[in-house]
Amino acid sequence: MDARLRRVNKEISDCKNDKSSNISIDLVDNSPFHLIGEFDGPEGTPYEGGHFKVDIIIPESYPFQPVKMKFITKVYHPNVSSASGAICLDILKDAWSPVLTLKSTLISLQSLLCSPEPRDPQDAEVAKHYMTSKSSFEETARYWTQAYAGGSGKEVRGKGRADGPRDEIAMAGLERAHVEKFQAMGFDRTKVIDVLRRLNYRGANVAQINDDKVVDELIKS
Amino acid sequence: MSSNDEYSDEDIEYYDEDEDMEDIDDVGSASEMELDPLNDLNDPTRPQRKIFEVEYESLSQNDVEKLMRADIEYISSIFGVEMDTASLMLRWINWNKEKLIEKYMDNANAVLMASGITQADKAPERAHAGRSPSSSAHQSSIGPRRSSRRIAPEPPKSGKTKILERLTPPIEDGKFICPICFDDTQTETLNMTCFHKFCKSCWHAYVESKVRTEAESWISCMAEDCSLVAPDYFIEGVLKEDKATWDRFQELLVRHFVGAMPNLKYCPYPSCTYTVSCPVSVSKTSLSSTVPIVTCGASAAHKFCFGCHVDSDHRPVICAVAKMWLQKCRDDSETANWIKSNTKECSKCQSTIEKNGGCNHMTCKKCKYEFCWVCMGPWSEHGTSWYNCNRYDEKASVDARDAQSRSRASLERYLHYYNRWANHEQSKKLSVELYAKTEKKMEEMQITSELSWIEVQFMKKAVDEVIKCRTTLMWTYGMAYYLERGNEKELFEDNQRDLERAVEELSELIESPIDPEVIKTLRQKVTDKTVYVQKRNEIVLEDTAKGFMDRRWKWNVPVEGYD
Ligand SMILES: [Zn+2]
Ligand SMILES: [Zn+2]
Ligand SMILES: [Zn+2]
Ligand SMILES: [Zn+2]
Ligand SMILES: [Zn+2]
Ligand SMILES: [Zn+2]
Repeated sequence: MDARLRRVNKEISDCKNDKSSNISIDLVDNSPFHLIGEFDGPEGTPYEGGHFKVDIIIPESYPFQPVKMKFITKVYHPNVSSASGAICLDILKDAWSPVLTLKSTLISLQSLLCSPEPRDPQDAEVAKHYMTSKSSFEETARYWTQAYAGGSGKEVRGKGRADGPRDEIAMAGLERAHVEKFQAMGFDRTKVIDVLRRLNYRGANVAQINDDKVVDELIKS
Repeated sequence: MSSNDEYSDEDIEYYDEDEDMEDIDDVGSASEMELDPLNDLNDPTRPQRKIFEVEYESLSQNDVEKLMRADIEYISSIFGVEMDTASLMLRWINWNKEKLIEKYMDNANAVLMASGITQADKAPERAHAGRSPSSSAHQSSIGPRRSSRRIAPEPPKSGKTKILERLTPPIEDGKFICPICFDDTQTETLNMTCFHKFCKSCWHAYVESKVRTEAESWISCMAEDCSLVAPDYFIEGVLKEDKATWDRFQELLVRHFVGAMPNLKYCPYPSCTYTVSCPVSVSKTSLSSTVPIVTCGASAAHKFCFGCHVDSDHRPVICAVAKMWLQKCRDDSETANWIKSNTKECSKCQSTIEKNGGCNHMTCKKCKYEFCWVCMGPWSEHGTSWYNCNRYDEKASVDARDAQSRSRASLERYLHYYNRWANHEQSKKLSVELYAKTEKKMEEMQITSELSWIEVQFMKKAVDEVIKCRTTLMWTYGMAYYLERGNEKELFEDNQRDLERAVEELSELIESPIDPEVIKTLRQKVTDKTVYVQKRNEIVLEDTAKGFMDRRWKWNVPVEGYD
């Protein structure tokens, strides 16, 4: 049998037999080389209560070249692209070793959720948010978990339930009052959210960015 | 090993030039004997170097391997370590012997660990079958550790320990199960001194993927967090039955070595494995006065510049100006695209004329108007002394008053030079196509005349010369664009004009139909013209090169090395 196929089959069945890890790996179609991995958000993090899905592609030269993974579930995290789900993690690149497995890699992703590395970001805007105000970042991450990963969201204060229409302001990690202030000047709400997010208009930064700068950006955009 | 005081400690790229040059000379003489005697570049009877040529040496992969081996032997003997160990250390430090000696004296253990020869905290407990890296490096804690986010502060659940269990080969009923492919039928296993054992076919697949897919010769152990790097003997063992990958691995080592040496450059032509050594062109200052065009020993067509990334002959223009011109052409490619078209309208009768040869002397099929493809002016004037096809009339740009006419004039000025540059380039391409036609002509000539094969070679020589000179002409336009107006530029353009006229005449001659009656006369004419063209080309190359050396050229823009 093809060594790659044997190895992947063994990995999938090992994972099925191990009930203790709460990591699951399933086939997407009939090919064992395109899989979906799933795990729960780690406890004590903004991702707690969420359930995360990861797209897994097994390359031709697996396990000698790293597996390709990206989040299917939207995640608000400095090392995960908020748009595409692409992940910045060393073992998915040059630190890959053929002894690593799909399961161990998914566990590493789970650990990544516990310990963001904003100095080596995949999503620069999210990383900036994290660096500026960790509490505000966590609130947004929690909101995303609730909105996209099925999290209970009981800790999200004053943002309303995310079951209804999603709150764009909470989604962008901004303050409602800030958005409304520029909206009142006659700018489009979506535009305001976009610009404030790009400028990282949060926490201590708000005092650093004067209104003219924001208006300038709003006119340009 | 004396002149490196001015280099900082951190500069591991630095390499002692003087010593390296000696090495190259040693091997150079050996390599010449192996080379094709027809290759005139390495012909010992080759005439003296011209002013527009640089001194260089072509090295085969074998020659470079000898240089590498000499360095490895040197380190191996003074450190008292095995060749493979010395090789890894040199590769780690980018082949800077002096730097390596210094670091090794300072802390041998740290060097051994960083080079992937021994592991931190865990030096090999016992010698491994005949091949053990000399290691006095026990129990040291210095040296870089692979940082990894895998070592998360709190790995959730029980997964982590399970991964680590895998690192010890699982042995069930005394049978080895490879921890990578889970195959229990594999009988042959391999490991380095770290004793991380895997089956041979996994090692092979791993090394093959590193070498072939990643072009990587620095190959660490497959085990997680093991920092040992595979020495050559190990790779050789893994690739025993895969000669192609082993060859590629050795080529990668040579490339790494060449990349670390400022006086060596790998031939940029696809799948060529030759290297050129050009010690004189290492310094930046020499590049403001010489154009180090070299040819590798594999083929006379493998011509490239040692000083920049242009993979062809850009003489007589120095690298900095060539680079500016190419950038300008790239930036303005859209404006100038129309020039490249192969068809134009006759300026007399407006019928469409297609260019299908290299010659710029066009005759309209319909009205028989003879004109110049480049300037569309009447051809009759081109043979006379007031021929001005190559020179741009700067008056328009000087007279321009307002911004709009200034910008129009500057575009016009650029197009003048670009037009001629592009035209010679295109003619060159068409001349290459002419080769096939020429071969046929030569065969015909053999049949219709009493000329022998050798005697009909004059056609091929003429085509070669035309192609070569069009390359020179192309670049003279790139240069003239940046030359400050004045006497020097005018003299430059006189030489350019004379060469251009001669080339066009030769071009026309070799494209003319062959009449058996006059073949002998034609042969004489072509041969004479070829010699003349050759002379004109040398005059352009020589005078421009001299101008660079005398700092005679003045530029209308700032040029690197000319402040
Ligand atoms: Zn194996
Ligand atoms: Zn190892
Ligand atoms: Zn070559
Ligand atoms: Zn160059
Ligand atoms: Zn006509
Ligand atoms: Zn003309």
